[in-house]
Parts: sequence; structure tokens; C-alpha cells
Amino acid sequence: MRSGRARNDYTEFVTARAGHLFRSACLLTGGDTHLAEDLVQETLGRLYVKWGRVSRAGNPAAYAQTVLHRTFLAHWRRRRSKERATDLLPDLADPYGVDSATRLALVDALGRLPAKDRAVLVLRYWEDRSIQETAEVMNTSPAAVRTRCVRALGRLRALIGEDLHEYAAS
Amino acid sequence: MPVEDPQEHDPFADRFARALHQAGAGFETHRDLAAAGEARGRGLVLRRRAAVLAGAAAVACAGVGGVLLLPGDGGADDRRSVAAATAGPSPAAGEDGGITAREMIRTLRNLLPEGRISKERGVGTDREPLMPYAQVVHDDGAGGGAIAVSLQRVEPGSREAREATTCPDRTFVPYDACRTTELADGSLLMIFQGYEHPDRRTDTKWWAAELVTPEGRRVSVSEWNAEAQKDAPVTRPEPPLSVEELKELATAPVWRPMVDVLRERQRPGPDASPSPESSAPAEALPPAGAPDERMRKTFVSLLPDGLEVKKHGGQASDHAYLVVDDGEGASMVQVDVQADMSGAERQLFGADAETLPDGTKVVRRQGPGEKGGRDVVMWTVDTIRPDGMRVVISAFNSGAQHTAATREAPALTMGQLREIATSPEWRDLL
Repeated sequence: MRSGRARNDYTEFVTARAGHLFRSACLLTGGDTHLAEDLVQETLGRLYVKWGRVSRAGNPAAYAQTVLHRTFLAHWRRRRSKERATDLLPDLADPYGVDSATRLALVDALGRLPAKDRAVLVLRYWEDRSIQETAEVMNTSPAAVRTRCVRALGRLRALIGEDLHEYAAS
Repeated sequence: MPVEDPQEHDPFADRFARALHQAGAGFETHRDLAAAGEARGRGLVLRRRAAVLAGAAAVACAGVGGVLLLPGDGGADDRRSVAAATAGPSPAAGEDGGITAREMIRTLRNLLPEGRISKERGVGTDREPLMPYAQVVHDDGAGGGAIAVSLQRVEPGSREAREATTCPDRTFVPYDACRTTELADGSLLMIFQGYEHPDRRTDTKWWAAELVTPEGRRVSVSEWNAEAQKDAPVTRPEPPLSVEELKELATAPVWRPMVDVLRERQRPGPDASPSPESSAPAEALPPAGAPDERMRKTFVSLLPDGLEVKKHGGQASDHAYLVVDDGEGASMVQVDVQADMSGAERQLFGADAETLPDGTKVVRRQGPGEKGGRDVVMWTVDTIRPDGMRVVISAFNSGAQHTAATREAPALTMGQLREIATSPEWRDLL
């Protein structure tokens, strides 16, 4: 961070994006908001170090999302021996008045999926990334992303079944 | 059997996408993540600075977190002298036997001379890599200056241990003074007095002490004559601690049992080293032990005829530089070889990238130098292979980036740089 202007740009960017990154992280972590906060701080810290180059290269939002996902996967890899299906109640606000129990069921189901499944689903359906882009973020092939996506949706369907239908329809 | 695109053909996926957006929108945090992220970034910069100074860039690249920020200014009533603090009990152990951020901060505070302490921050041993640190602003009445300390274990006798206390190459880091001495117990202590910006575009001075004991305990202390290392006005002519005080702080016995805590907590096996993906996309690590001597030889072997190598060096196993002369004046050429930078490919190789038949992408850049040398130009050819291996080479019209231009253009043409960067020889180094 060489100049005051760069710092202002960084501050403006992270102030605008931190909330979205946090929400992405919450989905990745299956509702573990404390871990999500930590992942976002880690991501923003790395972004701070690289800000000059990242901002010059354009699309820092995509870069930040990439860092977040990789940080999450690296965390999962280090901790996988300890990871368990989440049984914590996610810290969910309910701004739209939608049934929180159903939302909890969805987040809880996400938390029960393997980490890479979560990453694929969040990239594809929350970030709306293409298969190619998802493959680049995850350092894998588009074919592997397609396969994992189909399997992850299948697992999710098995876990929440019609609840999702009712929730989405609400 | 090809698998169809699930998003296009699965109605369940559409419902899931809508549900996911609603679920995600429900998460809120009350923490100031932007400020906390910036604090963590500053910690990363601090660690990287220590590593670059020591020539051990790989150390700083892995994930870091858990920066503790303490509110308030702390007051000056509990300052003790270095001698008094070092005689006290060890504060090393936290509740789980580790070191907490608060303990790091408290230990640093206790070792500082009289003065007002503020802007405390720290990291404990609850994060990897194990490199706890603390930073405070110390004001003895003549202006506040940032003081930071970090602890690390290094392998005794290793290159990292040696480089940590070797004064940096002036080609990269100009400084006022730097001296390494051997202490009575066999420890090596480097005292460095330089500048925050090598081109000295600000008057911010950066002084550092690096101590490595024969057992591999490493204590790094940095101080500035400003309240932050960057983007803060100079508050005093020199950093707050004299060279002698800097030395006392780094060699205070209280740090040693704390570094030993790191040894006890470092686990053997695969988890002890960061996985490739534990680093950010632009920070892929070279394989351990890639010999920079081989790298330099490869570099020299790829030079076009007619160039005399006047000087060579390198600060890390993935970096080398040469100063060459074709008879027209000195010209520095540097190269970086990185094993897997595929994560940064989209950022670095945009629409203007040329793609070679083997899939290698090439980007060329010609612009001013980055370190402030007058009229210095920097010509760069950046390449990435399909498997993510990146070779980036830059040439300057000066013998160093921060010194004035010695010639109109670098000694190598863009075509020659491209030929070097795309050589298959680099592959053999990985």
C-alpha cells in the first residue's frame, strides 16, 4: 500500500465488499459466522498486501472471492480431521420475514456437505460464476466442476428434499 | 459419459439458487471486517518485510490471522526498564500453553523505556504459521514511533538462519548502516538502519534488529520514526529506540522461552508446512530448497552473446538478478520463477496476452521503474505456462532500480527478454 490514494481505494473497496464476502463465507462455512469472519479478515488482509497489483489488474471483487474460496478450502484441508457437521444455530437475521427454520435447514444442509461441494455450489449459485470460472478458482477442470456440481446437488436434495421447494416457493 | 450442465437442466438447481440467495442475504455481522482485514494485512506486510530483509520470502507467504487490536492508549504508568522486565517471570504460556496476542503486547510494553503507549496490536500462536508478533506506538514525549517485534523458529544452521542476520544486498535495499555481530553466547545480531522507502521519497526511517540464537530462536524488532510504517507522517528525526535500546529489546532473555513455545507447538508431518493452496493466488511458493545457484546459472546461460555479467545476486530461491553490461553501461535484469500461479492468471494475463502454440501466455510491459531511480525504465516480459508455472523477467537501464539511469534503454531487447522467459530451461529448476 504505497500511497494514500491507494489506501483510500482499498478502504472504499473493502467497505463496499466486506458484507458480501461475509455472506459468501457464511454459506461456505455452513453458518459458522465466527469462522466466516475470520476467513473474510484473512481474505481482506491478503488483498491489502496485493492491492496495488490487484487494483491495476481490474476486477478486485472477483479476485477477493477467489482468495476467499481458496482460504476456505485451505482452512478445511488443515482442519478436516476435526470438522464435523455443524450443529450450531447459524446467526441469521431474518430481514425478509421468511421462515428462518427453513433457511436454517438449507444452511445446515450446506454445512453437512464436503467442503469442495460447498465451494462449488456457492461459486455457481451464489456467485453466479460460470463452470469455467469455477474451475479456475478451484484449480480444477471444468469437467470435474460439472461432476462435483451434479453430485453436490444430489446430496443436497437427499438432505433437504421438498423443504427446499417449499422454501424457494415462499 | 459427458455430464450435462446442472444449472441449465436441473429445476432443483434453479430453486436452490433462489433459496441460496435468500439464505445468504440473511447473514449479518456487527464487526468492522474492513478494519480488521486491514489490520491483518498490515501484519502480513510486517512479516513479509522481515522475510524479505532476511531473504526468506517463503516464510511470510502462508496464511496469517487473528490480529488483536486493543482500544485505548494504555498510559505510561507501568513502564519498566529493560533490565527490570527481563528479570521478571516468563509470560510465555497462555491458557493452552501457547502465546496470546495480549501476552505478546504486554511483553513488548514491559521491555520499552518510559513513554506513552498506544495503538497496540498483536498476533498469538493460535494461527499458522507460528510467528507471534506485537506492535505498539511508543511516544517518549518527542513524538510517537511504531515499534514491532515478531518471534519465529528457524532451523539452526539453515540458510534461513544465516540469511536472517546477513545485511541485505544494497542493490535492493539501500541503507545508512548495517552490521552483524556475534554475541558471547554464539547468537548473531544484525542491526539495520535504513528507510521505509528505498528511494527515500519520504523521510520515514526503518530500523531493525534481527537476532538468531544457536538454537534457532529468531527475534525480529522493527521501529519507525512515524506512528505507522507507511502512510503516516514523520513525527521525529529518528525512531524512538536508540541502536543500543534496539539491541537490548531484541536480546531480552524474556523472548527466548517464548520462542521455545513455538518449537513445542510445531507439529511434525505434512501439517507443519503450508499446503500450496494455503497461500493466496499470487503467492504460490516455490518448492523448498530450490537452489538459487542453479537458477543463476540457468539465467546466465540464457543471456544473449555480447553481455558481460558484472554482478549477480538473488534474495530468494525463486528470484535472481544480474547486472550486465554490453559496453554501453550497467543494466540490471531480474527474473522470478514461480511454480503455480494459475490462481492469478486471470488478473495478470488479460485480453492483451499473446498465447503461444504450447499454451504459454505472454504479456509485455514497458514503463517507468518502480523504485524511484531518475529516468529508469523497466521492461518486463511476463509468462505463464498452461500448468501455472510463471516466469517473469524485467530489465532496467540502470544497475539498480533506485539509482539514476545509466543508459537510454536496457541492455536486452524485448525480444531477447521474451526468448529468455519462454525458455524450457526454467522447468528444470522446479
